[in-house]
Amino acid sequence: MRRLPVYFLLDTSGSMYGEPIQALNNALSGMVNNLRMDAHALDSLWLSIITFDREVKELVPLTELVSFQLPEITCPQSGPTHTGQGLEYLHGKVMNDVQRGTSTRKGDWRPLLFIFTDGKPSDQLLYREMIPKIKSLNFGAIVGCAAGKAADNDMLKELTDTVVHLDTADSATLRQFFKWVSDTIEQGNKSMGTTSQVALPPPPQEVNLVI
Amino acid sequence: MSKKYIRELFAAKNITIAGSKQHLFDAFVDDEQHQQIARQILENQQRLMDIWQYKNRLADIQQQPVSIPNATVGKPYQATLDFRQLNWSDVTWTAIEGLEEYGLQYDPATGGIQGIPVKSGDIRLKLQFRLAGGDASAAAHEKLLPLVINPDPRSLWKSIPSDMAGPFWKADDVAEFAPLGDRFVTVASKRGRSHANVGSFRDDDYAFRHLEPSGWSVLAVSDGAGSAKLSREGSRLACNGIADYFEQFFKTAPTADIDTLFQEHAAGTGTDTQKKINRLVYDTLGKAAFAVHKKLEEFAAAQQVSIKDLHSTLIFVLLKKYAFGYVIMSFGVGDCPIGLLNKDCSAITLMNRLDVGEFGGGTRFITMPEIFTSDKFPTRFGFKLIPDFAYLMLMTDGIYDPKFVVEANLEKLETWKAFLADLNGNNPENVALPLGAHSPESAGRLSAWMDFWSPGNHDDRTLMIIS
Repeated sequence: MRRLPVYFLLDTSGSMYGEPIQALNNALSGMVNNLRMDAHALDSLWLSIITFDREVKELVPLTELVSFQLPEITCPQSGPTHTGQGLEYLHGKVMNDVQRGTSTRKGDWRPLLFIFTDGKPSDQLLYREMIPKIKSLNFGAIVGCAAGKAADNDMLKELTDTVVHLDTADSATLRQFFKWVSDTIEQGNKSMGTTSQVALPPPPQEVNLVI
Repeated sequence: MSKKYIRELFAAKNITIAGSKQHLFDAFVDDEQHQQIARQILENQQRLMDIWQYKNRLADIQQQPVSIPNATVGKPYQATLDFRQLNWSDVTWTAIEGLEEYGLQYDPATGGIQGIPVKSGDIRLKLQFRLAGGDASAAAHEKLLPLVINPDPRSLWKSIPSDMAGPFWKADDVAEFAPLGDRFVTVASKRGRSHANVGSFRDDDYAFRHLEPSGWSVLAVSDGAGSAKLSREGSRLACNGIADYFEQFFKTAPTADIDTLFQEHAAGTGTDTQKKINRLVYDTLGKAAFAVHKKLEEFAAAQQVSIKDLHSTLIFVLLKKYAFGYVIMSFGVGDCPIGLLNKDCSAITLMNRLDVGEFGGGTRFITMPEIFTSDKFPTRFGFKLIPDFAYLMLMTDGIYDPKFVVEANLEKLETWKAFLADLNGNNPENVALPLGAHSPESAGRLSAWMDFWSPGNHDDRTLMIIS
């Protein structure tokens, strides 16, 4: 059976402390419950959650939705945003996890990546170094989400054409955003040519597509 | 113990006993009443510490993360709260409330939770427990255990009819049985659950035609790309385009020359017949494929859409019976296989090379101009001269993915034998075609067989069997 691997790379740096991280937890939980009600997702979706602050943590390794359990995501009260390190870690994971098809093994669907941040990378050098490597992984879609005033759209734009901006990282906005994420995931397992990108559904009002 | 306590208490309070009063102090310490007071103090101290320890332990248990594997509705479930592993040897009594409504039971003796879930949900189980050393008459403690019960994936699929008024509508399910020269064709094409779930259209298509007086049959199967918005029309145009093309072609083609070439080749007479046949296959089928590509291009231009919106794979076969056997020529672009089983089903010929990408869904389409200029273009053709055959099958990946899984299996006879057995009823649903029963009911039976359940495989399904 073909798997659809979906990676979440989440910013848990100090600025997320308090209400934003709570909102993120609630929104993720809502999203996972939504996905469980989707026939397609329940059959083929695999999820992984990686967080980055000063440290990079694989909170949940790539796990099929049926067995997936969402842990409580926490963050330190302060500290840098090591987005570059996060990408570096992700690169290794995708290289290892995602199965490419051969004549004797079924390939996965092209993986999807959602990267969520409320700031900008503290390790810009590594971040920029990782961008071509991440792009070479042939993701079906990379969606960058910049939440709040301090979030840097332009840095995300260097990584992907699909960048959305959320004005605030409150519960209602994040819930809308992750509802859209689950709609996007549902688009992920459709047949397509070798290079075309996954068609994204129109985002909800709270989500501004950065052009 | 209590004497020692009194002496230590006085020392700790820096009360010095003068030498002259040593006797008096000894008698004070020996006094039974004073010792009783000291014992009470010690007991109270111990009680305070015990209560703290109990509360501390209770808090630890309540905060301890306990993860129970997820359950799924309709699937037998078995999980265990392993008290030893959880380090819960001091938990003396447990119960779980409200499990029954989900179809589960808890066995306190073993810590087992089991049953067949009847209801889905992201729930918090209320585990009630008592700890050693606790007050047996007080209310039990509680701890919430998260449990996810997934819905039964089968129950989530909806079947929404496609909009008949929509552009380029086609029937969700079609099936046919018909004679084809001296053989029979049984074919069914069925909208996948993924489309039925959202009320979208079937993207697969097929066409077949027996052309007299030339005696040739043409067969085509196409799979419209799920990501292309008008691919249902692309696949229809591709299949019908091929059938129309050859209908015209054989009206004017030098069929007598073609017949002579094959007869000479079979008899081993004539010169360079293999080379001439290669040329013939390449020219005839290559031109047909290109004509269809052009037709799709023109259609896209007329509709003012991108040709990418019509992305479809295409396989087609030309078949003709001669005195020496059958001539079979094929062309293919995409990931739909053409399989040929010989008379006694002892050999399988995969007629085409599949375009399978590194990742799922990565393939090639007849709508891509680059396939015609690629140096791999000549590898898209197949030719076979066979005395007789049992089955010739054309299918889309909706059949190939669940039944053959990977490319390599398409060249294994045992996989094909299992596939034939499956068509003859060796499947969980016990639905049989069966093969070789040449009756008008075969169409409906093939369509019913196609409803098989296969997790993760919900694409459109099309299977054409020449028998």
